[in-house]
Amino acid sequence: MNTTVNGRMKAVTSTILKDKWSWFFLPWVIAGSSFVVNLITSIFVKDEIKTGGVSSLYIYMLVAGIISVSNTLPFLLGFNVRRSDYFWGIGRAIGLVGVCCAAGLTLLSFIEIDVVPGWGTGLYFFHLPYYSDGPAPVQFIINFLLIVFLFYTGFLIACIGKRFGKTGMYAFFLAWIALGTVGSYVMTAQGYWMDLWNWLSDQSMLEIAGGTAPVTLICMALSYMLLRRTSV
Amino acid sequence: MSAIVKVSNLTKTYGDTTAVQDVSFELEENKIYGLLGRNGAGKTTIMHMLTAQQFASSGDIQVFGAAPYENESVLRRICFIKESQKYPATFNVKDVLEVSAMLHPNWDAAYASELTAAFGLPLKRRMQKLSRGMLSAVGVVVGLASRAPLTIFDEPYLGLDAVARSMFYDRLLADYAEHPRTVILSTHLIDEVSKLLEHVLLIDQGRLLLNEDVERLSGMAYSVVGAAARIESFAAGKQVLSRESMGAIASATILGEAGVQERREAAERGLEFTPVSLQQLIVHLTGGKNGEKEAVTR
Repeated sequence: MNTTVNGRMKAVTSTILKDKWSWFFLPWVIAGSSFVVNLITSIFVKDEIKTGGVSSLYIYMLVAGIISVSNTLPFLLGFNVRRSDYFWGIGRAIGLVGVCCAAGLTLLSFIEIDVVPGWGTGLYFFHLPYYSDGPAPVQFIINFLLIVFLFYTGFLIACIGKRFGKTGMYAFFLAWIALGTVGSYVMTAQGYWMDLWNWLSDQSMLEIAGGTAPVTLICMALSYMLLRRTSV
Repeated sequence: MSAIVKVSNLTKTYGDTTAVQDVSFELEENKIYGLLGRNGAGKTTIMHMLTAQQFASSGDIQVFGAAPYENESVLRRICFIKESQKYPATFNVKDVLEVSAMLHPNWDAAYASELTAAFGLPLKRRMQKLSRGMLSAVGVVVGLASRAPLTIFDEPYLGLDAVARSMFYDRLLADYAEHPRTVILSTHLIDEVSKLLEHVLLIDQGRLLLNEDVERLSGMAYSVVGAAARIESFAAGKQVLSRESMGAIASATILGEAGVQERREAAERGLEFTPVSLQQLIVHLTGGKNGEKEAVTR
């Protein structure tokens, strides 16, 4: 049995992905339920329906990031896996899940616009203005970046909880609320909201998604540092 | 025999609480150790620190000649079966065995299947649906089939009935004979495992109270039984761990070796010698007054 450093990291990846239902089916079941409801609605509505129901898949990735730590970290550390192998092993897993989800979303977007336009009922669920701007490879990259961004945001939150417990979580969220309140006050007082909105409108979806990449990397780095000091 | 675990001045504190205090010991290769002590004595904390799952407040730990923290070559040689082991929500018994096979280089899949059948474990059942005894049995299967050079069992028998416990002890001894490795058995069911153990580490209130070969331990104390008045005169001037009396008959457990002098004194008084079991000795040591504990550690 190959259990080199790389082998143990692979073992972590296969351990995480053993739960195929949660990683490969549930995201589509959740987005699919929203799609079916919208599809039925679109049959009875004459106008085109453009809905953001696909966001449920992204939100699921945020939740998956939060849940995965408590679900797998105590188990794998208990089985004497190094914290670094856990980190990179789960990274490989989410990389694979991200690629599959992004490819699926891109394919469905293509079908929705080019194969069966509006699913024959005028429903636009996977191909939306602005969000789906650009050719398929661009859409794929956008989907992938957003998925890993949301996963690692959830992952970081869970790592904070694991490392610092409930008190740490309260402190973290209080700090964010305080920062948000002060930030929003300054934005209002200085009249920056309009500037921000104008700036955002000037950015393409690819630029916005690309902007999440450094944030994702920061979340990854912080989670890694927290994991290194986490005990079970 | 070479030491595969070296622990020096290990201390672990949580706020004001000291869970482990200044503990030092060494474990040799291919021996069965008993890590004994009452609940909350600090046994589990020590094992968590040996496997780098928890961090020491101070002190040094060397396992297979290196610090275990983030050390793949050390961690892959350890199998730690703990009572509080958590499993992913969707995992069944088969999943756990498959992951164990990936993580333990010496994993014997055929032996694992044999043990799974012997303990009557349902492979398809989710871990969360298993009874306490079945959960323990999964731990026993993983611990034995991993054949890890350092195998640690922390209270491995919780919920197991007497038959299953006895099967665990028999299998452990048989497999240990064929595939020697270092085993740490943390337990408070001392009598049950006393025949397995070669060496005992006794932890009490976070401190190492005793670090002794079982053979030597059995000569550390003895009991005398006989007429109460004669017991009193015999015990005078000796370190008495405990006394019991029932009517005119009394017994006393006395610390020290039963030498020729003691045997002669007992014979003169018509007293009988009885051996002290490991469990009795441990109970005396951990339940006794501090003065007695100090007398033993000296």
